[in-house]
Amino acid sequence: MTTALITGITGQDGSYLAEFLLEKNYKVVGLVSQKHDIGDQNIQAIKDQLILMPGDLLDQASLEAIFKQYSPDEVYNLAGMTFVPKSWEIPTLTFDVNALGVSRLLELMLKFTPKAKFYQATSAKIFGLPGQSPQTETTPLKPLDPYSISKAAAHYLVQNYRDHLGLFAVSGILYNHESERRGEEFVTRKITLAAAKIKLGLAKQLVLGNLDDRQDWGYAPDYVQAMWLMLQQESPADYIIASGRSHSVREVCTIAFSYSGLSYRDYVVTDKNLIRKTEARELLGDAGKAQRFLGWRPKTSFKDMIIKMTENDLQLLSGSNSTSEVKPVCAGREAPTSEV
Amino acid sequence: MKKRALITGITGQDGSYLAEFLLKKNYQVFGLTRRTSTSNYDRIKEIIDEITLISGDLLDEHSLTNAIKESQPGEVYNLASQSFVPVSWSQPVLTGEFTALGVTRMLEAIRLAKPDARFYQASSSEMFGRVQETPQKETTQFYPRSPYGVAKVYGHWITVNYRESYQLFAVSGILFNHESPRRGLEFVTRKITHAVARIKLGRQKKLKLGNMAAKRDWGFAPDYVEAMWLMLQQEKPEDFVIGTGHTWSVEDFARIAFSVIGLNWRDYVEIDQSLIRPAEVDLLRADPAKAKRLLNWEPKTSFEAMVKIMVEADLKKEP
Repeated sequence: MTTALITGITGQDGSYLAEFLLEKNYKVVGLVSQKHDIGDQNIQAIKDQLILMPGDLLDQASLEAIFKQYSPDEVYNLAGMTFVPKSWEIPTLTFDVNALGVSRLLELMLKFTPKAKFYQATSAKIFGLPGQSPQTETTPLKPLDPYSISKAAAHYLVQNYRDHLGLFAVSGILYNHESERRGEEFVTRKITLAAAKIKLGLAKQLVLGNLDDRQDWGYAPDYVQAMWLMLQQESPADYIIASGRSHSVREVCTIAFSYSGLSYRDYVVTDKNLIRKTEARELLGDAGKAQRFLGWRPKTSFKDMIIKMTENDLQLLSGSNSTSEVKPVCAGREAPTSEV
Repeated sequence: MKKRALITGITGQDGSYLAEFLLKKNYQVFGLTRRTSTSNYDRIKEIIDEITLISGDLLDEHSLTNAIKESQPGEVYNLASQSFVPVSWSQPVLTGEFTALGVTRMLEAIRLAKPDARFYQASSSEMFGRVQETPQKETTQFYPRSPYGVAKVYGHWITVNYRESYQLFAVSGILFNHESPRRGLEFVTRKITHAVARIKLGRQKKLKLGNMAAKRDWGFAPDYVEAMWLMLQQEKPEDFVIGTGHTWSVEDFARIAFSVIGLNWRDYVEIDQSLIRPAEVDLLRADPAKAKRLLNWEPKTSFEAMVKIMVEADLKKEP
């Protein structure tokens, strides 16, 4: 039986990946931070099939205990401080978790499981203001905020451990990927949740930043499959995972509201304060390499994804589910601005 | 009132030269020092009465805020780091803590306690690693080849970010290798001149070196600290590459060093494969044109002159 360690297992990607690996008959060990607990709603359905271990990317000893006990064959590092605006408030912690956490894991792999394979969740935000569109694996990095800089550093660290110390360590450069489990501080979920609330009379309007911001948005369950595929290759390499198409925030609004039987124009107001400090230009990924070598391509269309998310939020809020599941994914965390 | 500057890494090669340079310019100089079990004030012993040392640590944000409040600097030079590349492979996390996060902590301290202070970040040509073009200039893409290089890239970008996002006067000097009699013995140039002096005095017979063909753009540290200061005197904060624009090999260095004492390097140097680094960087050569144009800065000391200065200093140091 193959054993996988997933950090960030309670998050969107971690929970989908855990489901995917369980179906493949893996033994799945998940790292769950007590300090940065976002709740277990995403893994509720599979909880008794998982081995959940307390620990934290900041705490080498907690990670070491897991490596010693379970000797994972595959390590998926999905945990991180992922919310860009927050990284301006806690820049040092962001780096400590997102970059030094990677060093800690890679050092433990060298020591305990040098044959294991390592997946690092790199973000397309490392491209920041890209000089070319679409971006490929060789596009120069120009990160624009403490979050993206920490991710770029982690990306380089992974390359270094692969090239010089011979680890099977790869980075998936993932473009935005959304789902029903997306945190509500992210703009897609913010919109689908608001459309559902307004439809049900629980809210009156939705305040957003720039409606013409465009992103390359894919569906998270499609993307976790790419992570796994990267670790099944003969040789380690980095891959861009993207839909290759960009859509505007306005399009998200149009689909979510019209699915709810509303027109977004009647409810959405824009607020200049929600526009981010350093605005990234449109990011668009070229996943040609992933298609060629991994045989991967996205399955779910943008429109279908937004509909699924809206449908889910309508269901959650209309009381067809228990109240405990109505709790937003990042309960208790104030979202200063929305994230694309 | 005197201008005030705070230097981290003041006990190091660059920090000590910079402190001397600023004292001559009539600055009041503050130095951040870590409490260690063995204090190493060798490089600043001549000026120790003229500077103020503040205890603090790049690992401890609170101590940095205190140091900024206490010194009220107009200029902050962040020269401290875990700066030895091979050690970054054995201590990658600690290297990140110091060399990368130390920058963020200092920028945060400045932002909160003295946002009008000007900030200099010591970036490194190691950020270019597997070079994407030659020579390297301010716009050359980074490709770091060691945890040290990765940490320096992070420090560079976070400096640029704080400048662009918080309007701090924060700049990054991308310095190519720079040597001097105060270079640490773990660096190849100083290792050579130190050995040459000991061979001359009959205290050593052989010198073991790694890759003799490795080439670097080597400049003289006292020339380079002037460039740091110049960057903080500009109207606009900008990043600069500082280097000579020429490269010399380790063999060139050894040849000249041995010739200073009238010996042939071939008779004394042995190649040791174990000294060859796992991640050798490619040909690093600076294009310092922007520094020449905007700072009117140029290196003053030639390569041969620098090697001679280093050998002679080591001969004097050996009692």
